[in-house]
Amino acid sequence: MADSVKSPASAHDLDLVALAATGGRAAFGELVRRHSSPVRSLLRRMGADPATADDLAQDAFLAAFEQISDFRGEGTFQAWVKRIAARLYVKRWRREARRDLLDETSAMDEPPVHGEGGQADRIDLDEALKTLSAAERLCVTLCYGGGLSHAEAASALNTPLGTVKSHVKRGLDKLRQRLAPGREFGPAESKVNG
Amino acid sequence: MAEASFEMALDRMFAETPAFGDAELFAMRCEARLDRGWTARRLLIGAMGAVGGLIGGAQLLGSGLFGRLNALSLESGHAINRGLQDVLPHQLAPGLLISSEAIWLSAVLAAVAVGLAVTRLVRDI
Repeated sequence: MADSVKSPASAHDLDLVALAATGGRAAFGELVRRHSSPVRSLLRRMGADPATADDLAQDAFLAAFEQISDFRGEGTFQAWVKRIAARLYVKRWRREARRDLLDETSAMDEPPVHGEGGQADRIDLDEALKTLSAAERLCVTLCYGGGLSHAEAASALNTPLGTVKSHVKRGLDKLRQRLAPGREFGPAESKVNG
Repeated sequence: MAEASFEMALDRMFAETPAFGDAELFAMRCEARLDRGWTARRLLIGAMGAVGGLIGGAQLLGSGLFGRLNALSLESGHAINRGLQDVLPHQLAPGLLISSEAIWLSAVLAAVAVGLAVTRLVRDI
């Protein structure tokens, strides 16, 4: 598979992964070039400031290189790195913020809601996420952007499954109000099963 | 239905990420960190190997192993020479006498040959 690769820029992700698994740093560099923006974006959406997001994204890619032989190609490479990055962020978040999602009220430092409902059509996802509490934002981005199931998110956050589900539900309700205020949607139920 | 539609829209929004203008710079920084890690690892392994080699060499010198080996090679040389004198005609034997240095050299060459063979074998496998 890797033998057919002519240049990293034109190679498929799986070919690049195979090359990187044999120590090909140029191949891995190409993977970073292709997928760094979504990973950095995810970390910012989770609540990291730009500098922290970049540091963690680098850590995630380096960790991915170290354990690239574990990547089985069952999902996309990008999704795999996103999961690594999301877990790294949660680890840092728990260590630095010392927040405990078990105590829902303490974690619910409600941020100010920007703008009015009538301007919602101009509010993109990044802005809408800022209207969520830290816990809601983290749970929603972990389960949707990071691709973790409710159970995996609960495990990463060391939090009961029900707490994660309620954060996701509230977060989705708020996002729905912000992103599609004029449309009829049913009550939030996550597609991600715990 | 509406719920599924919203979740699909949310999935799409999460998947849509802007391409960062400094993506190339980010990749270069990442590669530099990777290279730094490899360089540090190589230096660490090299330093540990050198320290280990020095300690091992000092232990060998201290144990008198070389003296014993030298004596062994002298004995082996004598034994081989005695064998040669028994087997070869008298006129040829003095020219073919084997010194202890020759035994040492043969042993070293044999060790190098075995090392090369093992390396080749490992690469082929």
